[in-house]
Amino acid sequence: MNSQTPVISCRNVWKLFGADPERYLARMQGEKSYDEIRADGYIAGVKNVSIEVGRGEMLVIMGLSGSGKSTLVRCFSRLHDITGGSIEVEGQDIMSLTENELIELRRNKMGMVFQSFGLLPHRTVLDNVAFPLEMRGQDRHERRARALEVIRLVGLEGREEYFPRELSGGQQQRVGIARSLAIEPDIWFLDEPFSALDPLIRREMQDEFLRLQEMLGKTIVFITHDFDEALRLADRIAIMKNGAVEQCDTPDKIVMNPATDYVAKFTEEIDKARVVHAGALAHPLNGHVPDGQPVAARTTIHDLARRLVSDSGDELPVTDDTGAVVGVLNRQAALDVLMGDG
Amino acid sequence: MASVTDHTSLRDDRRSSGRMSALRLIFGAALLLLVLKAVGMLPEWLNRPPDWLIPPYAQWLDAFFNFIKGDMETGRPGLIYLTRWFSEGPLEFMLNTTANLLEGKRRWPNIGPISWSAIAAVATVIGYYLGGWRMAALAGGTFFWTALVGQWKLAMQTLSVISVAAPLAFVFGLTLGIVAWKYNWFDRAMRPILAVLQTLPFFTYLLPAVIFFKVGPTAGAVATIIYAMPPMILMTTLGLQKVSPEVVEAGKMAGCTRWQMLRHVYLPAARTEILVGVNQVIMLCLAMVVLTAFIGMPGLGAKLLAMMNSFKLGRSFEIGVTIVLLAVTLDRLSKAWVVKQPEHFEKGTPWWKRHFYTVLGCGAFVVFLGLAYLSNRVPNYTLIEGANQGNILQYLFSVLGDVHRTQDLSQGKEIDTAIKHFLDLDGIQATTEWLRWFLNVQVLIPFRNALLWVPTPAFILVIAGFAYWLAGRREAIIAAIFFSIVASTGWWDRSVITLYTVISAVVLAMLIGIPLAIWTARGAAPPLSLQGSAKDFAIGLVGLAFKRIPVLFGALLVSSLYHFFTAVEESAAFLSPTSPSLYIFGATFLVLWLAVRDWPRDKVVLTIVDTAQTFPSFIYLIPAIMLFGVNDVAVVFSILIFTLVPLTRYTVEGLRHVPPEMTEAADMSGATQVQKLTSVQLPLALPTMAVGFNQAIMFAFFMVIIAAFIGTQDLGQELQRTLAGTDLGKNFVLGICVSLMALTFDITINKWARNRKAALGLE
Amino acid sequence: MKLKSVLLAGAITLASGTMTLAEDSSDPIVIPIHNWSSQIVMSHVVGQIFESMGNNVEFVTTDSQAVYESVRLGDVTLELEVWEGAFGASFRTALEKGGLHDAGDHDAVTREDWWYPMWTKDACPGLPDWEALNECAHLFATAETGDKGRYLDGPVDWLKHGKERVEALDMNFTVINAGSAAALWAEIGAAEKDKRPVVVFNWTPNFAEAVWPGEFVEFPEWVDGCDKDPSVGPNPNALYDCGNPAKGYLKKAAWDGMQDKWPNAYEVLTKISFTNPQIAEMAKFVDTDEMEPEDAAARWLEENEDVWQGWVTGGS
Repeated sequence: MNSQTPVISCRNVWKLFGADPERYLARMQGEKSYDEIRADGYIAGVKNVSIEVGRGEMLVIMGLSGSGKSTLVRCFSRLHDITGGSIEVEGQDIMSLTENELIELRRNKMGMVFQSFGLLPHRTVLDNVAFPLEMRGQDRHERRARALEVIRLVGLEGREEYFPRELSGGQQQRVGIARSLAIEPDIWFLDEPFSALDPLIRREMQDEFLRLQEMLGKTIVFITHDFDEALRLADRIAIMKNGAVEQCDTPDKIVMNPATDYVAKFTEEIDKARVVHAGALAHPLNGHVPDGQPVAARTTIHDLARRLVSDSGDELPVTDDTGAVVGVLNRQAALDVLMGDG
Repeated sequence: MASVTDHTSLRDDRRSSGRMSALRLIFGAALLLLVLKAVGMLPEWLNRPPDWLIPPYAQWLDAFFNFIKGDMETGRPGLIYLTRWFSEGPLEFMLNTTANLLEGKRRWPNIGPISWSAIAAVATVIGYYLGGWRMAALAGGTFFWTALVGQWKLAMQTLSVISVAAPLAFVFGLTLGIVAWKYNWFDRAMRPILAVLQTLPFFTYLLPAVIFFKVGPTAGAVATIIYAMPPMILMTTLGLQKVSPEVVEAGKMAGCTRWQMLRHVYLPAARTEILVGVNQVIMLCLAMVVLTAFIGMPGLGAKLLAMMNSFKLGRSFEIGVTIVLLAVTLDRLSKAWVVKQPEHFEKGTPWWKRHFYTVLGCGAFVVFLGLAYLSNRVPNYTLIEGANQGNILQYLFSVLGDVHRTQDLSQGKEIDTAIKHFLDLDGIQATTEWLRWFLNVQVLIPFRNALLWVPTPAFILVIAGFAYWLAGRREAIIAAIFFSIVASTGWWDRSVITLYTVISAVVLAMLIGIPLAIWTARGAAPPLSLQGSAKDFAIGLVGLAFKRIPVLFGALLVSSLYHFFTAVEESAAFLSPTSPSLYIFGATFLVLWLAVRDWPRDKVVLTIVDTAQTFPSFIYLIPAIMLFGVNDVAVVFSILIFTLVPLTRYTVEGLRHVPPEMTEAADMSGATQVQKLTSVQLPLALPTMAVGFNQAIMFAFFMVIIAAFIGTQDLGQELQRTLAGTDLGKNFVLGICVSLMALTFDITINKWARNRKAALGLE
Repeated sequence: MKLKSVLLAGAITLASGTMTLAEDSSDPIVIPIHNWSSQIVMSHVVGQIFESMGNNVEFVTTDSQAVYESVRLGDVTLELEVWEGAFGASFRTALEKGGLHDAGDHDAVTREDWWYPMWTKDACPGLPDWEALNECAHLFATAETGDKGRYLDGPVDWLKHGKERVEALDMNFTVINAGSAAALWAEIGAAEKDKRPVVVFNWTPNFAEAVWPGEFVEFPEWVDGCDKDPSVGPNPNALYDCGNPAKGYLKKAAWDGMQDKWPNAYEVLTKISFTNPQIAEMAKFVDTDEMEPEDAAARWLEENEDVWQGWVTGGS
């Protein structure tokens, strides 16, 4: 899914909070641990993170509260100035931007959705959605038309004149989403957008979100503390702890090969069969194509359960979206995953 | 873990033992000084700071003020050129404009005065928009009353200044608030100045205003603006700081420039706090505008002063009622505006429906302007027999334009007589006579003499010791420095008298206010039976008295009115069975009682204390003098009324907000009502009560200055005296003395409340 | 309507009488108003006279002591009631600084001193003699003063030297300072019902005379220097051992610039002179008849045309 040049690329990014972080970082000998830094009176919000986000990719950053995930995403949009390292957005070092250039970047390229919605309480739904357009000086008529369009997109027709407090939480977040989409951003940041919602609504919004993403195909950085949500949505997941990225990989790989004990704690309770795809478990073609009805690489092992149990062959062919055979699935290995021994 | 806890507790122990020994040292030194003085061995220089130690602050300040002021006669440049330009240019222009519109002063734009009925109609519409029928009735009724009682012009003189001062205070306050929020150093520099400004007696605002801004409405407006600004600044900063970070980030991500951030994100998101600031600006403006009568601001305040100086209690009372009504109206309207949220209209709503209230308001305005125009063509009907008497409709129509002197419904003389009559009632006279004797001779004078006897250093030590004990070392040092400055101004004795009055009033207010509040907070009255403990019975009795006292007074007032109007011969004693007044009294009592019986207690009590507080402060001075004579009892009494409000309100608040699980736990532990109160509710309510106590002290410091009007020997009297001259330096020194003492309390009590809250885990 | 024609007539006579002089400026003449009725009405009377001459007039409410500073600076144009006792000091201070000047005396005389309402005399028949008063001191005693009598003096800033007099004449009284005029009236008002004897500071002309008939206490007669030279007066070792002057002046003061800016109005101002009964009448309209000051002034002008017409026309 990754295209050639990453949309966001960050290298050795540091974000420290404290009295004089730049100086502290410059003087730091080697890399200190989170606790050592804390003992020195600084908090490591982001600690030596290097990560890339490809075009059209959805990167989910997962971590518990205080892990630095929100800080990291704010570094991407320079809501926080980083202490060290570099961040490039579409090849441009954002730390070198002037205030006006930064404003232009945000006005045209970036959209963000917030956990508590961040709606302006004194503006109607329509005015909230049109707000970024208004800020960049689009004329009244145009921005109204565009705002109505996005409002329809998120399914809020008929509520244009409502004020945020008159809406439910789910509806408010739809406004937040519509607002972030109004300027047709290339990069879309979502900071725990569904955490404040109750579970049923959350599920519904996730589906809605997937539908939108299907349509729009944006480059997305999505923050969550909910591992299930991350598995459900992500192309790749970056798991953070104490400001550092513990592991960054596809869901299948994280589930199957947790890099650290910390990551393993998350994956332990997960029903892996629902996560792991046939494609991820498949070996490359080794010259011969096994017989049998091929399975799509995109199906999860869980969905293949009946087939795995009833089939008799040891190996199954795996096909990609175009129908070409791309690999071989070992039935026993798949069954192990299904039984939870993988 | 265990070892850590041990360590901290050990440290705490050590700290508290260090604290104990420091306290012992401080109080010991104070005691030593007292003993020395008692045996006559205290050298004079330790009793009061010797004259040579007292720097001539007043002269320094005078020189300083003179320097920055400049001199218009000799042409030396200085601030006065700027201030005079401001007051004679833009400020006077604005004042003239509103004065023309509202009271018809002959100035540009020369279209006023707008007839009262048009203004009242618009006020009614605004009231309806903001708060439904009740608010409409309040707003319309206030203006209706003001006009019909014949005070329209006075009220408009006052309002024309407020309508300039309040927006200016708002704009300046908002701007400074924004700057303080944006620049931390400015905020830090501003805080102490604001603290001083908020505790500075208003007399200190008045004199510089006159000197720099010319006598008359301009000076009054400036003093009002400065006085009303601090809360606006604080609320703005607070509101902006409270804007949720996500809203801010949303704004940034939308690509707002700095100005767009402020204009479209921060300010609208801080709307509630800013509007609370607006409400406070309006209220403070109204309070101050009345007080600026002292420097020649025309309007209700000036009339009130003139009426009091010619001993017209009835008219004074009526003006007081007008001021209360105006205050309540402006307060409620602006508060309704704070909570008023925009409503959405469905798509396709016609224009006039979207702007229904604007249309209605404009319509009412135009209609009543027209009616007023017609009304001025008809004769001035009155309701008085003989004097061009008309029926009620003719009368009402003929006053729509202008209420002429002969047409107003002022009952000044009648109320006058009723008030005097009421104060003359034997029972009241006997009570006050006794109170006067008891409080004055047994309590106040000995207390004052004792305080004055205390050597200055001992006094400072005791104050600092208390601050140490309550709050901490920092507060103790502040207290010591502040009081030392007071001592070094040479106004020590007067400062002590001021303090003595404040303390006496607050203590008395506590004796009344706290039981009142406890009773109020307890919802249902405890059963008045002898089965409970004696304490329960006493509390019940107090409660019973409180609920009946207002009713009792109302009834007394009505019956004494009757007494007057029917001109019953003097000999008909009030209590004799043949006295009709007695029956009138009984009937009124019953009616009033039935009327308020179903009101929740807090409503009764808070309504009464609030109304009492909204009356212009100096209106109490005359009844206080008539009841108690020119002496400290009258002074304390008039302060007491003001201090009662915050004490009662915050105690009720504190008791109400005790977490229910704690009272339930007490109930389940089998605590009696009294045990529950003393060992659960009061301790938990104490931090909140302290805030009320602190406010009470601040109010007392404010009122004690006004009480100079009765006759005191404190700082207020000297301050009032400086108003007559150009003694800016002295005026300022006196003001600072008051301010420093007030601040000492403010800082100490607030710190204590914060500590307590933290210790109780209440926040 | 009637008033207008009167004023019109005044304006016409004026026009013929003073045409020779320079024109008055069209800027408003600023007349200060204080917080007692006679001064307010008198200010309106004079203001309406000026208006009838075609001048613009504006009234500002000011403090009665601070006003001299304002006159001096020209913020306020004139002052109509300069009481010798009450404002003499402020007036003289301003005079020394320059900027204002004495614009002549009224006929009226002022007096300020210890005073009692008539019912007090029933209890202490020796009055108004001060020694008799001293004999009755116990009648005026209250809880706080013990067996000494209580005398309620004016506010401290009026500088009435009540304490000094009590000491100088060795009187059996305690002096308490009221904080305001209103406090004085409240005290008298409170005593009225029981006809309790009181002795307070009071002055004439004053509305209180109409409400509570009373008399001044007769102290040793004022001799010049009584406040400066201890040897003057009965007690050779003390100041303030005599009563206040029984006939104090009542002056007008004007801003120095007035003469050039409004020559005609200034001319009239110097001629204006009210008598005690006239002032009392003005006060009565407001205090007893409950009229508004403007109406009271109009009425007074209407009823006393002969008095004021003379000032306006009689110039040359």
